[in-house]
Amino acid sequence: MNPQSPASLTVDAPWIVMKFGGTSVATLPRWQNIRELVDSRRTEGARVLVVVSALTGITDALKQLCAQGDKGKRNEAAKAIAQRHYELLDHMQLAMPDTLGTRLDELAKLADDGPAALGELAWQAQVQAHGELMSSALGAAFLSHSGLPTQWLDARDCLAAIALPNQNERTRLLSSMVDSRPDPVLAARLATLGEVFITQGFIARESQGRTVLLGRGGSDTSASYFGALLKAQRVEIWTDVAGMFTANPRQVPGARLLQRLDYEEAQEIASTGAKVLHPRCLSPLRESRVPLLIKDTNRPELDGTVIGPEVRAHAPSVKAISARKGITLVSMESVGMWQQVGFLADVFTHFKQHGLSVDLIGSAETNVTVSLDPTENLLDSDAIAALASDLAKVCRVKVIAPCAAITLVGRGMRSLLHTLSGVLAEFGQLRVHMISQSSNNLNLTFVVDEEVVDTLLPHLHDLLIGAGALRTDDSELFGPSWQALYGSGEVPGVATAWWRGSQRTRLLELAAEATPRYVYHLPTVRQQARELNTLGAVDRLHYAVKANTHPAILHALVAEGFAFECVSPGELKAISAIVPEATPLLFTPNFASREDYVFALGTRATVTLDALYPIEHWGEFFRGREIVLRVDLGRGLGHHEKVRTGGSGSKFGLPLDQLANFLQLAEAHGVTVRGLHAHLGSGVLDAGHWGEVYVQLASLAERIGSVTFLNIGGGLGVPSHPGEARLDIAELDRVLREVKAAYPQYQLWMEPGRYLVADAGVLLARATQQKGKGAFRYLGIDTGMNSLIRPALYDAWHEIVNLSRLDEPATALYQVVGPICESGDVLGTDRRLPEAQEGDVMLIAQAGAYGKVMSSHYNLRDEAEEIIIE
Amino acid sequence: MTIQPRLTQLFRFVRCSYADGVAELAYAFDDGEELVERIRFPHAPAVPATHAAAFEAALKLLHLIAGVSYYKAGVPPKIEVASGPLDDATAELLDQLYLHGLAEFAYRNGLDLRGRIAFPRGGVAPTVGALNLPQRTLVPIGGGKDSLVAVEAIKSIGGEATAVWVGNSALIAACAERTGLPTLNIQRELAPGLFELNRLGAWNGHIPVTAVNSAILAVAAIVYGYDSIAFANERSASAATLEYEGQQVNHQWSKGYAFEQLLGNWLHTHVASDLDYCSLLRPYSELAITRAFAKLTPYFDAFSSCNRNFKLLGPKPADRWCGQCPKCHFVFLALAPFLPKPRLLSIFGRNLLDDENQAAGFDALLEYQDHKPFECVGEGAEARAAMFALSQRPEWQEDALIERFRSEILPRLDPSQLALEPWLKPSGEHRVPARLQAALAAIG
Repeated sequence: MNPQSPASLTVDAPWIVMKFGGTSVATLPRWQNIRELVDSRRTEGARVLVVVSALTGITDALKQLCAQGDKGKRNEAAKAIAQRHYELLDHMQLAMPDTLGTRLDELAKLADDGPAALGELAWQAQVQAHGELMSSALGAAFLSHSGLPTQWLDARDCLAAIALPNQNERTRLLSSMVDSRPDPVLAARLATLGEVFITQGFIARESQGRTVLLGRGGSDTSASYFGALLKAQRVEIWTDVAGMFTANPRQVPGARLLQRLDYEEAQEIASTGAKVLHPRCLSPLRESRVPLLIKDTNRPELDGTVIGPEVRAHAPSVKAISARKGITLVSMESVGMWQQVGFLADVFTHFKQHGLSVDLIGSAETNVTVSLDPTENLLDSDAIAALASDLAKVCRVKVIAPCAAITLVGRGMRSLLHTLSGVLAEFGQLRVHMISQSSNNLNLTFVVDEEVVDTLLPHLHDLLIGAGALRTDDSELFGPSWQALYGSGEVPGVATAWWRGSQRTRLLELAAEATPRYVYHLPTVRQQARELNTLGAVDRLHYAVKANTHPAILHALVAEGFAFECVSPGELKAISAIVPEATPLLFTPNFASREDYVFALGTRATVTLDALYPIEHWGEFFRGREIVLRVDLGRGLGHHEKVRTGGSGSKFGLPLDQLANFLQLAEAHGVTVRGLHAHLGSGVLDAGHWGEVYVQLASLAERIGSVTFLNIGGGLGVPSHPGEARLDIAELDRVLREVKAAYPQYQLWMEPGRYLVADAGVLLARATQQKGKGAFRYLGIDTGMNSLIRPALYDAWHEIVNLSRLDEPATALYQVVGPICESGDVLGTDRRLPEAQEGDVMLIAQAGAYGKVMSSHYNLRDEAEEIIIE
Repeated sequence: MTIQPRLTQLFRFVRCSYADGVAELAYAFDDGEELVERIRFPHAPAVPATHAAAFEAALKLLHLIAGVSYYKAGVPPKIEVASGPLDDATAELLDQLYLHGLAEFAYRNGLDLRGRIAFPRGGVAPTVGALNLPQRTLVPIGGGKDSLVAVEAIKSIGGEATAVWVGNSALIAACAERTGLPTLNIQRELAPGLFELNRLGAWNGHIPVTAVNSAILAVAAIVYGYDSIAFANERSASAATLEYEGQQVNHQWSKGYAFEQLLGNWLHTHVASDLDYCSLLRPYSELAITRAFAKLTPYFDAFSSCNRNFKLLGPKPADRWCGQCPKCHFVFLALAPFLPKPRLLSIFGRNLLDDENQAAGFDALLEYQDHKPFECVGEGAEARAAMFALSQRPEWQEDALIERFRSEILPRLDPSQLALEPWLKPSGEHRVPARLQAALAAIG
């Protein structure tokens, strides 16, 4: 250790409060760690107040001591507790400090005396307070001995408990509240005493001078009280995890570290599930606007979570998703009663009588439903039966359990609703008992059956990211995933995008020549093609050429052995001109005209029908031909309503109830149904879906003797948001092999499009200007929806970077817009980017699919050129 | 030549032996290869000479009873015991066990075993006396509520007991550990040849496994020194699940009182007059037992009576309760009158009575529109009494299946037969030895 003596602090030097929990103070190495952290804060020029918990396990041991009626056993327990402290002292190679010796003697006496003299509750408080009194005494000795002069401070001399009207003796003594208004006198007094202090969490003193406890989460709360009293620069909670996460990491390993929260959001997250911070400890800080920082003791280099006053300069985003299990709902149904004065008051009186505290409330004209948390009273007494009996006299009661409350937390939740359509659709498939949204606009809670929660939560987390509702792309707000920080090395390696690495300079050169430009990277196309070629169960892969018809891409895929799928005579002509004669073609049109079919039948393409009309009215064209039938399996999937291609709401496919009719007509016209095809939609990331389509097609095919192959379509999703899970190709392979084993008689075809080319293409543009409007900052670029219509059409999310300033800190929040005269000409909303300058090269990623092919001359703007990187 | 199990003519009890804690039981069909089952008794002490005759008798009975797993593969017309004919009492015990214990098996396979099972008779019965066995009890643990009620009843009178189970089950091990009793885990390895016979088209189906386990524990009682084996078979186990062509079919016949009497008496006359075999729960209905279990909170997150999830174990209710099988349905229904609703639902992780898809399952329990399912579940009248009790409670009334019961089933029932209370009274019929009778009071 190298004791340094920085210049002494002035009286008004800022305060930093640092709180360390039970495991952080239980061993010598942990105390050495504390010493370094405290020293670094002191070196910053701050007075430091360290707040400590009892050594891990000691509070429980003290509680057990309190529950022990036998004096001998109490004395034994006190000795065992003392022993723990002797051992740590021994490791620290310290002599017994007087401060600790006094505490140990006191504890021994309290154990010996028992509760008689003080009264049961006051005695318990006094006994339990010793955990912190002893750990802080030990800490003061250690820190001072190791060259950091540290004053031991009795928290009870600083924290004065306040009496509240609804308190009984138990809460007054064991779960107390403290007056936390800033106390400049205390700050000034302490400043004269020293520079580093250590005190106790969890304890305070009430007006009669008795020791009181602060209840659960008491040490964090103590730190907050001290932070507020001293008007500290910040309060630091040092714990075993880097902060709050977007979800419980045990349920969602991909949960992201939350780097910035405001007090209200943090309180909401803490109240709805996060265990890292007790919700109580935020209100003292909110009033005095002292920020709170959560840090990982073992990984101090991690940023942690900062909780402070609200900041507007970021995208509205869901911050966290949490689930609380064990919820019981009481649904009360009655006609016309709710309007009667006092009816609800009477109803709630019953809840109070039976000791049941209501959490959520949802109401309609004839129904009020409330939720109850899983308290002991609810689970192990007849409270709910008695309550139901009372309520049954005035309304119909239904007790619904076990439920779980899934809460989305984020400031401005109502303004996010439009982004949640995909998430809400997921809830649409469940029994949702209740939805609650508070007027503070911080949360949205769904109460569902408890059994669905464990699988639902990770899925919802993914959906929220995919929907752009949980803005993990905002690096100011969201840090690394829990898996990346603490996982067991199973983080799927996220490859650096080609344009970020080796090709960046080349792209800047290309942009310097001209913008806007599409640039396609053929090695990426080949890599994707090779990955799909690992799907052993698939007999033939067709590239769905509508995604991108650039000849160089077609040639690359011919070389990888792909067949081609076309949807129009135009595509058939273009592709036939490029690919070799032997390459199989598939014609899968929708609402194609009679002429389209006549043309296609004149080519070598395998023709797909997806309606009754062509076979009914033009059946003779198909006589003697083998065709593929596209069916609608009755449901759709995908990232947006407009890309779903299954279900009655979609124009694709033959509904199953017309299948028999179709087969009859086919028979009548001598047409052989050789293949069955279905395609659910685009952007699907769950491998299981293709397995389902495959099985359903196979079981249909068994009823049609002529079928030899099944085309399960494409729609393989390409995640766009940072942190979104990729489609697991190995899992897809496993799923497909499993079905193939059951139906080996059918060949398996697929027709991926976007999966092959999306990541291979980027759109390069240049920044033209900026505009400020209220809180919004617009960044204009030299092309827009005329080149890339997906954001406007599908709300598609494309990563946008400033390629000229890739390494600069992203501090600005932009709306990235094009020059087209349309309100919808927005390429990206609320993007965290470096401050841009006119002429900067902006790159829009994942533009290889449905980019150029969907572009237009709208506004008579020039089309973007296409450049190939071999 | 490959054997065709269903065409075999003779089932042979070839031999049985015991050394170093391992019993070997050998069987054969016709002139086929031996089928050898092994049962492993962990840390078994040497059997003292004074106990040798008792041990031999118990081992022989185990050989004869465990043969049922193999006999059923072919159900040949003739049975042969290599060591010679049995005394009448032993032959009678086995005839009964094979006939009634395989009744469900026969029903399911469309077989009629009456007149087909005849163990060779004509041997001489031994005379046995007391062995002064230590006053302690083997309590088989099954992972379900019943054995836990039995354990707690014995603990309540300060009785010395060991929690014992046969085979590997993480669930049972967890429950056994939770009892705080010493534990004994005996391993049973079926003859590998049985699986080969199954592949070759052997008959298959339910066997009276409680009888096999009982015989294993009788051997264990002599080896380790216990004066009693206390099962947790309840009153309704004696009721037939259905009648088929004049024969009573009871899925749990070897848990019934008839078998308990047969085996208990046989042990007294063939092994040791001071080795008692009984069921501690025999006087009680399922409902009386669930009421007792409802007080045993510490077991709620460890136990399971579900047969489908039996090999699973995990912290989540869905790991222990499938929620679809008759056992799940019955235990849910039988516990419901005795637990606060939120607590019950937290045990199962869902509300089976508010799920319309479960209607058929509960109908079967109520014996409404269906016969009793082949599972170890209570009598229909018990289920109806429990359902009726719930239908009178406001916190349950609106749940889908209770609502359905009230509107559709209840009007067809005789209201005088629906009370819960009569089910909670114990009957006098049991074979609990004097030493353990005080434990009955703890159950209620």
